[in-house]
Amino acid sequence: MKRLVLSVSLLLAGCADVDGSPRTFANSDLQLAVGNGARMGCSCMFVMNMSEAYCREWVKASPDVAKLTFDVANKKVEASSFVSWSATARWVNEKHGCVLE
Amino acid sequence: MRALFVSLVLASSAFAQSVCPARDVWPEGDWPVQLVTGKDAAVAELEQYAFTLDGALYGRKGLHTNGLVVIHHGVIVYEKYARGFGPENRHISWSVAKSFSSALVGIAVRDGLLDLDDSVCVHLPEYAGTPACDITVKHAITFGTGLDWVEEYENGNYQTSSVLSMLFGVGSADQLKHVLTHRFSAQPGTQWRYSTGDAALASAVAKRALATKYGADPFWPALFDVIGMRDVVVEEDLQGTPLGGSCVYATPREFAKFGYLFLNDGCWRGARVLPEGWVTASTTPSDVFVTWGGERDTNPSGYSWWLGVPVPERQVPSRWPDVPVDTYAAQGHWGQRIIVVPSEDLVVVRVGDDRQAAMNTNDLIKRVLEVVR
Repeated sequence: MKRLVLSVSLLLAGCADVDGSPRTFANSDLQLAVGNGARMGCSCMFVMNMSEAYCREWVKASPDVAKLTFDVANKKVEASSFVSWSATARWVNEKHGCVLE
Repeated sequence: MRALFVSLVLASSAFAQSVCPARDVWPEGDWPVQLVTGKDAAVAELEQYAFTLDGALYGRKGLHTNGLVVIHHGVIVYEKYARGFGPENRHISWSVAKSFSSALVGIAVRDGLLDLDDSVCVHLPEYAGTPACDITVKHAITFGTGLDWVEEYENGNYQTSSVLSMLFGVGSADQLKHVLTHRFSAQPGTQWRYSTGDAALASAVAKRALATKYGADPFWPALFDVIGMRDVVVEEDLQGTPLGGSCVYATPREFAKFGYLFLNDGCWRGARVLPEGWVTASTTPSDVFVTWGGERDTNPSGYSWWLGVPVPERQVPSRWPDVPVDTYAAQGHWGQRIIVVPSEDLVVVRVGDDRQAAMNTNDLIKRVLEVVR
């Protein structure tokens, strides 16, 4: 319940206008959380070659609101939070690892 | 007679520029290994420091070392991994990548592909005519661009963090645009401010300049292939711009080769990779650090390397008081380190997962020295 309240608060914060100051970027915490989850999860799994279980722990950040889906066959990781927040990172090649789409 | 004298001076100068330190031991693909013996107490003390918290991943309080490699006189004398990592696993560098970016700029200088005083717009012509053109390449490798960059991480304010936005948010698709559309908080060259954006800019410039000689993926023929970093990964954004300030991945043994390049004055097997004087300049407090009068950031840096030397002009004491003053390091978030101690002929690589900045270079190296001395 506590996590739900936190997540709803963050969702609402993410919907707020954050362009008022030139040093504030148009990211919500949820966007950053899913971006972190996708990028770091992909690199953990397909560049560092660690296990999925390890990588799920590796990418945890505060707030821990990103749900990860590892697509091993296609070397992609999707992170999502609620309905409209998601990010995907995919493995590119041996030299450049993963990229956040 | 005078012409002859001048010719001799020039000839000797050219000879001096080509000289590399004498060195018999080089990694042949991989490192030679001769583990230290008879130092059980010192090794135990080192491991008590570095590996004690070999426990649960999440929580992340204290030191969580994933790998530790010590190269002494060109040989691995100590190596240990933990928490599921082994010698074959690449590890994230985080900001250790910044030292790679500045070295790649150095190689471009060696090849005459850029000058440190070049405007970045010489190499990024799509930004010609913008205020970004006041930034030079040297500004970018010394954290001196003057951009109003906010370097805050998971414990800071997410909405104002320039770096989180670049890595995970709206700036991630085109990070160069994200960096160069920041406003200025000072004239370039007058403000020292630690910035992943500056390093990303340096990396972008290095890639553009080196690509004119080495092709589309220039970092490998220019550096990584030369020093045998066979499995290194350099992540990029959707535009193909290297992240530059973070997200190089390599095994600890490969990271050690980069440290060994610097230990050997930028030479590899007797050939000069970095230009003469580059390592010295990289490991000397930069002009912008020395002259910057701001209160924040009192850890000396050169060309994106962190330094143990005191800076009397700023009343900054030696940062690591228990280790030789010539110690310098590439440093990254969560305790990533490539540490070079020239006076001890020593390279130490430590990778880890310290989410609370528990890693202390001074405390690590003083224990390593007890092992190798």
